Amino acid sequence: MKATEQEQYVEFGIENEQYAIQIHDIHEIIKMQEITQIPNVKPYVKGVINLRGKIVPVLSLRSLFEIEEKAYTKTTRIVVVHHREDTVGIIVDRVSKVTTFTDIQPPPDRVGGISGNFFVGIGLSGSGLVGILRLDEVLLHD
Amino acid sequence: MSFDYREVFIEELEEQLQLMDDEIMKLEQSDSEEVVQSLFRAAHTLKGSSAAMGFEEMKQLTHRMEQLLDQVRSRQRPVTAQLIDLLFLALDNLKLLKEDILRNDPSSTDISLCIEKLQTFAENSEVSRPTAASASDPGESGIAKLRLTMSDRLKVQQIQERGQHVFWVRVSIASDCLIKGARAYVIHSKMLEWGEVLLASPDLENLDESNEFSEITLLYGGTQSSEELSVLVSGLTDVESVNVEPIHPEETTLSQQPPAASEKSAGEEVQQTAKIKSQTIRVSVERLDHLMNLVGELVIDQTRIHQVERTQRRRVSDESVNELGHISDHLSRIIGDLQESVMKARMLPIEQLFNRFPRMIRDLSRDLGKEIDLVIEGQDTELDRTLIEEIADPLIHLIRNAIDHGIEGPDKRADAGKNRTGTLVIRAAHEDNQVVIYVQDDGAGIDPEKIKASAIKKGLVTPEEAEQFSEREAIELIFRPGFSTAAVVSDVSGRGVGMDIVRSNIEKLNGMIDIETKLGEGTCFKIKLPLTLAIIAGLQVKLQKQTLIIPMSNIAEIVRVTSGEIEIVRGQSVILLRNRVIPVVDIHDQFKADRTQQSRIPLVIVGSAEKRLALVVDELIGNQEIVIKSLGSYIGKVEGIAGATILGDGSVALILEISALFNRISGK
Repeated sequence: MKATEQEQYVEFGIENEQYAIQIHDIHEIIKMQEITQIPNVKPYVKGVINLRGKIVPVLSLRSLFEIEEKAYTKTTRIVVVHHREDTVGIIVDRVSKVTTFTDIQPPPDRVGGISGNFFVGIGLSGSGLVGILRLDEVLLHD
Repeated sequence: MSFDYREVFIEELEEQLQLMDDEIMKLEQSDSEEVVQSLFRAAHTLKGSSAAMGFEEMKQLTHRMEQLLDQVRSRQRPVTAQLIDLLFLALDNLKLLKEDILRNDPSSTDISLCIEKLQTFAENSEVSRPTAASASDPGESGIAKLRLTMSDRLKVQQIQERGQHVFWVRVSIASDCLIKGARAYVIHSKMLEWGEVLLASPDLENLDESNEFSEITLLYGGTQSSEELSVLVSGLTDVESVNVEPIHPEETTLSQQPPAASEKSAGEEVQQTAKIKSQTIRVSVERLDHLMNLVGELVIDQTRIHQVERTQRRRVSDESVNELGHISDHLSRIIGDLQESVMKARMLPIEQLFNRFPRMIRDLSRDLGKEIDLVIEGQDTELDRTLIEEIADPLIHLIRNAIDHGIEGPDKRADAGKNRTGTLVIRAAHEDNQVVIYVQDDGAGIDPEKIKASAIKKGLVTPEEAEQFSEREAIELIFRPGFSTAAVVSDVSGRGVGMDIVRSNIEKLNGMIDIETKLGEGTCFKIKLPLTLAIIAGLQVKLQKQTLIIPMSNIAEIVRVTSGEIEIVRGQSVILLRNRVIPVVDIHDQFKADRTQQSRIPLVIVGSAEKRLALVVDELIGNQEIVIKSLGSYIGKVEGIAGATILGDGSVALILEISALFNRISGK
């Protein structure tokens, strides 16, 4: 895959790993909020929040990637993405920066124990390797 | 073809079809000129608009109807049972055509048979044709006269009192004229320059291309003599011949004309409805929905402002807080009014739905050989448009059942000492912010023993289970899937799906259904529905920390019991409430909430359709109007959750789906 300098990404992390989403998919980034839990849903769907009058579901990236859950901290953020017709919040440990990649490689089968299907590619930036999320897969995962 | 036009056309079509339905029924009851006139107008309107939209078959069919009705209108044809049946047949075919149009699948319905029938009927008993419709008949002497309405007569008299003359003028237009319509129009407007034109046939304002004519007949009033007028008109382009005849005094007499009097009132009515119509506009439901959503947002924000005001008041007390209080109060009043108005805009009288029933019941009772008096009450009760659509099927099922299974045949009724004619009452009313619809018959009632026997035979319950059923429980078996009481399955009802569908549809609408029945005296179904689906009254309850909302329409009552009053029967906790065993459901586990120890446990008795259960909660907060929001397509449908709402403090509360709780019990 060719480097696409003009495309900007928002880089964020869970544990020690860095991930990114294309900036135009991102609606906004908000601080942790009170989440209303919903019974009988997939375990990684944590519930819903009130985003200025709109009910937005939130999912935990930790839970989706089967990384042990941790208590939310001051740096915990909800990355609200707008994808297809849905607005969904993704809980991450921290949001680092807006970045561009000098090079993007196709993803390997597994990325640090996580299925490669979740990624569009692996981006190379100043801070190291960043997994670029494939929202289709992250949001529609069964 | 523009999509907008299509929608407008379909709306008009539906209106006119409903009108025809009503009017044909009326015509069957009494042969009134007014009714024939209105039917004729409906057929004519549809002919015009279907031609304009290019629906050829519909045009042909309405044309035939129009023709037939014209014969009735001009008293050449009596109103017979055969005629009524034929009109109904044509109407049914029109409805089929409408369905085709809705499906965008024109031509799947074959109407040729119907058209043929109409045609043969129209031609067979044809009498002489002296009216405007036959004005084009060559060789006919004199001028075909149009009927004069009361107001026309008055005008004629006025003109004559001024010393002017009134003539019937028949103008033949040259056969090689290509645009006869336009020509006729020109002639008409020329004559308007010379004097007054009281009547014209064909109606020049509603001319469409399908109208074939070579002559126009006009009633003209002016200063000219008949010779002068003749010369004037012949001088116009494309006029082949002119025939001028003075109006006969008999045609203008004001008294001794009973049919004319009724025609006058019909004319007035038309004017009135026209006036009313001009004061309404059509708005798409989508726009109203959007408006409703916006109001919903306002309602939420208002509760938040109110909350802020209260917390501020606790902290500081100065002018500005008081001011905020006033503004907030005023705002909530206005928002309340706004919400009500928007809700009202979405409401339609249930008449829309009830109107369909007389015809349906007429056909059904005829097919089944029963005599039925239909009483419809409260048809002006208003409810949300979507609800009207959703409740249609369940109601139709109930009515069919009442006629098929409920009301007995005339002989059987006579044997039982009842009136040979059965009575079916369909009634709607508002009761404490809900709509209640009753379907009541004075038929045989439901026999719990028969129901049990039938359920056992069908393997729905075991004889041992049936033994334990109370009368009420036995009767409620009719709501089980796969149940049907008719010994012979008729095509009217008794497909064994009816009552099951009735129940699930009502549950979907957050409604309840109750049956009251007395053997030999009749059955009454009572359906309770919320007024609207978008904003509901809900009871806020707490399960530990989580706030949940139970739709008010589902709540039968609230009780507090001690833990000792909850018994366990066959592994299911139940309470005994006024001799009715009600299962107790605890959803703490589902919501990952710990149980609180209380001496008196609040139980919310909820109902879905005819069933009841008691829901254990930790705390009752109070009721509030809430705006239902969906959880969105990402989460999709969650078992047990009807949606969510945003509370005054900005947090999200889930709305319980009561019918799912019942599934939990039956699933056990």
